[in-house]
Amino acid sequence: MMLTLALRNLWRNRRRTLLTLSAMVVSVSLLILALGVFSGMIQDMLASATEQYRGHLVVSRSGYQDDHNLFATFHLSAELRQQIASDPQIVGLSPRLRAFGLLAHGLNTRPAELLGMAPSQERQVTRLQQLLVSGSYPAEGKSGALVGRGLASRLGVVPGDELVFVTQAADGSIGNDLLQVSGIFATGNSRQDNQLVLVSLPWLQELMVLPGQVHELALALHDPLLAGQAAARLDPLLPQGLDALAWGELLPEMQEAIASYDVTRLIMASILYFATGLGILNTLFMSVMERSREFGILMALGMSPWRIRGLVLLETLLMSVLALAVGLALGLAMTFYMARVGIDLSGTLSPITYAGGTILPRLHAVFVPANLVTPALLLLLVTLLAGWLPANRAAGLQPVTALRED
Amino acid sequence: MTRRAYAVLLLASLLISLSPVVAVADTDWRNLIREVEDQHTGRSSRSRMLMQVDAEHWQRRLEMVGWSLGRDYFLVRILEPVKERGVATLKADREVWNFLPKVDRVIKIPTSMMGGAWMGSHITNNDLVKESHIDEDYDFSLEEETDSYWRIVGIPKPNAAVIWGKIVYQIEKKRRVPQQVRYFDENLVPVRDIRFDKVRLVGERPIPLRMTVQPLDKTAERTVLEYLELAFDVPVERSFFSLRNLKSRRP
Repeated sequence: MMLTLALRNLWRNRRRTLLTLSAMVVSVSLLILALGVFSGMIQDMLASATEQYRGHLVVSRSGYQDDHNLFATFHLSAELRQQIASDPQIVGLSPRLRAFGLLAHGLNTRPAELLGMAPSQERQVTRLQQLLVSGSYPAEGKSGALVGRGLASRLGVVPGDELVFVTQAADGSIGNDLLQVSGIFATGNSRQDNQLVLVSLPWLQELMVLPGQVHELALALHDPLLAGQAAARLDPLLPQGLDALAWGELLPEMQEAIASYDVTRLIMASILYFATGLGILNTLFMSVMERSREFGILMALGMSPWRIRGLVLLETLLMSVLALAVGLALGLAMTFYMARVGIDLSGTLSPITYAGGTILPRLHAVFVPANLVTPALLLLLVTLLAGWLPANRAAGLQPVTALRED
Repeated sequence: MTRRAYAVLLLASLLISLSPVVAVADTDWRNLIREVEDQHTGRSSRSRMLMQVDAEHWQRRLEMVGWSLGRDYFLVRILEPVKERGVATLKADREVWNFLPKVDRVIKIPTSMMGGAWMGSHITNNDLVKESHIDEDYDFSLEEETDSYWRIVGIPKPNAAVIWGKIVYQIEKKRRVPQQVRYFDENLVPVRDIRFDKVRLVGERPIPLRMTVQPLDKTAERTVLEYLELAFDVPVERSFFSLRNLKSRRP
């Protein structure tokens, strides 16, 4: 009986109900879209730092990630590799050796960071193969080089050109050898684009006189946000002197940026809903005031104040459930569009590097459950709060005075 | 001129020629430092050197052959070990080039890498270039004088682009050869010593044939450079110090 009554009350003033509903629908769906795009930016940023260079998790000698000391190497035994790979979270492993030196082409000489890797394994950890601007990924075991776009243009090389790498090898001699540019990548991160070169691991080990040695084992995880737990699981497996570091420890600013996102989401939702809530409060008050006489009659007929209160709250609840159904559907549809198509802003914006990651000049959304649950629950809470005051007002009416109104 | 005047003149010239102390009392310290810095190159030179490097991560023993012309040109080529034979360094004016026979290329050392080690030793590329300009970039004054040596302090001229905040030379008076040079960083903390010994006559000049570079923060490390052969005023032309010649594999 109450439900029918509530529905009829809503239906009576269709225009007002629809206006209130549309305000709620718009705020829910836009919030979902905005949070989706925001999550997309965060994901781009994290991916740029981890999946373009570092990996989600890195095993190396203690302190190596701070100073990149050439001599902090280790031998990765097949047994250790097997043990690490058996962790269910790990989806990719890439042993690497790093060297700093000079790259020369003709009379152009530039400082560069060379990362020796096995192509088939590195592709599971970083995704530079998806960021090629020309040429191809280096082939296994050759002296091919994948060069950042900025470095390539400064050296004036295109795929097929020859490069000379010169450095001080681990025995103090001048390590030097030829490379052939196989491809050029662009990540948007200036540090990587202007400095990084991917080369073959055995080639670099020979040049540096570090046979069989690596500096780090970069790992890719199924869920990068669980890297901290995976690192804690790996640490006891590792021999003395080796550490497993999650991306959060390598990039503390990024860790904080992402952790603060949960708070940011709540703040964004609260600000938007505060405005929406005031709107709802206003309409409901109007609707209750208009119906003072009606409530007076109902009370005179014996309806208890609690049921009156319940009736008004039920009306609010019905509205918010309806608004949520439509709003969630609309928000999901827009997020889906932004996830599939997105908006490219590269014509007007250039990539921004922040906290070690790169924010790409595009609007692109991702689905994160919390981005739906938080707006939905908050909307319910806000509308019920906004309904509570008018409902109290209605319940507090004196039948006699109420009947006399109008 | 009177006999008396003759006698005074004779006495004076005798004094000047016999006593080095009097002779150098008015020495321009800058010239002395220039003499010391150029001692191994002369007007032109040819040398064979042995360099022994003891560093934390490696030990190296290189035999090299070198030519120089004035203070601005020199060329050094590695003879031993076989693995590095033919690796060569050319200094021309203020630039340093390396020739790498393995890849058959000449590489110019960029400014950013001038602080790097030369051939894995404790000598930097900057030493090769800036050492020869020290007498132009610093002002010198006598700090201490004993019977056997002078101690001369070099302080960088204002606005000179230098590496060291202070350089202290200890120079033996009698043979005018350096005994020790101490280098201080910009905070005036001593960072390395170069000691000289094995003084022999080369041509007419006494020359220390061995120098030991000792970084003061790593007492276990050192580079010892010893001249096995050294000849001055050899026939060598300016054109010898060219990139083309750097690439030639003649020893």
